Amino acid sequence: MSKPLLIAIVDDDQAMREALFDLLQVEGLSARTFADATAFLAAAAVMEFDCLITDVRMPRIDGLELQQCLRARGSSIPVIFVTSDEGEVTRTQAMNGGATAYLTKPLANAELVRNLALALERRSGR
Amino acid sequence: MPNWYATSPLRWSEGPVADMASLHSIDDIPGDTGAAREREMRRYQGACWVFDISRVRALIESVSAGNRPVDWVGTLLAGALTLDANGNAVHLFGAYAGRERMLGRSVGSYWPAEGRNILADLIVGAVAAHSRRTVRKIRIKSLVLQDPVLLAWMSDSSDLTDVVFVAIVAEPIDDRSFWALRTSEERYNNLIHHLPFAFLEVDSRAQAEIFDEQRRKGLKDVAAYLDSNPDDIIRARDIVRITDVNRSAVQLFGARDASDLLGPVDPLFAASPETARRVMIHHFEGHRSYSEIMKLRTLDGRILDVSLSVTYPTRPERLDITLIMLEDITDRLRTEAQLRQLQADYTRAARISMLGELASSIAHEVNQPLSAILTNAETSLRWLSRNDPNLEKVAQLTTRISDSAQHAGEIVRRIRGMTTRHIPRSVALDLNEILEEALLFVRHDIESRSIELSVRLQPDLPKVRGDRVQLQQVIVNLLVNSVQAIQQRGATRGAIELSTNTDAQGAVTFTIRDDGPGIAEDDIDRVFNSFFTTKEEGVGIGLAICQSIIAAHGGAINAANRSEGGARFCFTLPICE
Repeated sequence: MSKPLLIAIVDDDQAMREALFDLLQVEGLSARTFADATAFLAAAAVMEFDCLITDVRMPRIDGLELQQCLRARGSSIPVIFVTSDEGEVTRTQAMNGGATAYLTKPLANAELVRNLALALERRSGR
Repeated sequence: MPNWYATSPLRWSEGPVADMASLHSIDDIPGDTGAAREREMRRYQGACWVFDISRVRALIESVSAGNRPVDWVGTLLAGALTLDANGNAVHLFGAYAGRERMLGRSVGSYWPAEGRNILADLIVGAVAAHSRRTVRKIRIKSLVLQDPVLLAWMSDSSDLTDVVFVAIVAEPIDDRSFWALRTSEERYNNLIHHLPFAFLEVDSRAQAEIFDEQRRKGLKDVAAYLDSNPDDIIRARDIVRITDVNRSAVQLFGARDASDLLGPVDPLFAASPETARRVMIHHFEGHRSYSEIMKLRTLDGRILDVSLSVTYPTRPERLDITLIMLEDITDRLRTEAQLRQLQADYTRAARISMLGELASSIAHEVNQPLSAILTNAETSLRWLSRNDPNLEKVAQLTTRISDSAQHAGEIVRRIRGMTTRHIPRSVALDLNEILEEALLFVRHDIESRSIELSVRLQPDLPKVRGDRVQLQQVIVNLLVNSVQAIQQRGATRGAIELSTNTDAQGAVTFTIRDDGPGIAEDDIDRVFNSFFTTKEEGVGIGLAICQSIIAAHGGAINAANRSEGGARFCFTLPICE
């Protein structure tokens, strides 16, 4: 029996963090939430996540920096950005940095679920 | 023409009736065939008046019987009409006003305030005696007449039942001093008349007597007394009388002439009844003067804003008159209000322009709760669509949806507060709260530029007095300035520190520090000037408006460079009393 999937959610906005957690829960997925990148990085050092859902704009370490940091550590975890930032520059930076998806808020649950499924499929097929 | 001359040249005393030996009577000259009135008028060589007392007969008889209603003197003199006055009489009181100021008018409209009580007493005495054989006399004081005596009597003629004759008999002391005094009076008269302010001469002695009596009975707190006896204020407005007015007063009130205004002071307070109460309180408390801005209803129905100044008579010169000065400030207040509105509009325009620059940051703030609402709503539907719906979970999600919707509503309310037209209000405010609210507009902008924001708020900061929206505007403006300065430096990271504090003088201070390029030394004195800007797209009104807002709040704002680089802006506001 394979290990249950575990998703990380990093967002400084509590309401959004909780909403994403519940969304995954109803889909039968387990998740851990983090209010900032530092807390997530600390946890990621000791446990393995199957996917990261993160905002771009966050205080101190933003989403793009977090992605860079993970890649620098050699992590290949799929990263899905869920953000209000519709700027093309940011999107390109994110995708060039190896993001799986760049989704803008507000977004339909199905859209996130579909991208999450793709990311997890790609990860397991790797 | 108002008779400012009326109070001179006589000064009265309330001394006892003195030796009448010096009276020069021409009583023994028989009146020939002339009318009885003519005969009586020529009885004494002096100033003589003829009064019709028919309208106040009942009052006189009541006083005579020992029943003295409040302000009976004022009522009596207001009701006694002048049927005739000889040349000396006109000369004595009304040389400048003319005979027409006396004939047909009430005695009260021209008789000098300080001589009213004596005259009223004398009239009552004459009516009681009701015979030309019993002439009532009293010695009075005068600056220009030697041993003047005031007399009153009634004719024996059956044709003159309701007529009282009054005379003043004396010799001039010294013609030169009389004319010197008259010249001085005329100068005073001209001065008062041509001043652009309305002057009212008021006789408030009837009220002063009531106050004296109440004081004797131990009254201390007159404000509380008037609160429980509001009728006393109404009575005062009736018994305190305007005895003279100048030309500006006639114009101000839209009166036809001075006589329209003479009588009870009541019309003065028609539009501001509370003012009468405050004027009375200050009178009772022995103040020398009182002033306030009040509404005045003119005789032709206009409502004006006037500045009222009352100068009370004080001991020992309390026999003197109370002076009321009125200045029409309607236009001034209107201009000031227009200016304030213009400033408010200008400030609002700047605010809207500032919000425009922050549109993306604000959109982000609104988008956050909306996204959470959408996600939660869809998750709820998923729980409900299951064969075994998890209602507990749905309830939890619905609560979150409600919270987020309220949060979004709050954000929209704050944005609307910044954009809607409003008249600045001065209320007690917590600057820490204002700062938190202001951050809403800029926070996202700060984060998206990788600017580290640190906020140090002094707990239990004293309240300041001011307009919430305008103070938010100042803080947002300073924040935007700092963000733009950091951006100008071209660095990928930056830092902004915000703090609140109290200074050595007890004032509340707000400080913002950034690590931008700072302010060029040559510009440091100009940053608050209108249209000063170093930004290509800037208009240069932001800091000028910050300064005008802070100044309007009684505070000060200044700019400086930090030794470690970057700029520091600081404003102080006086704390709420």
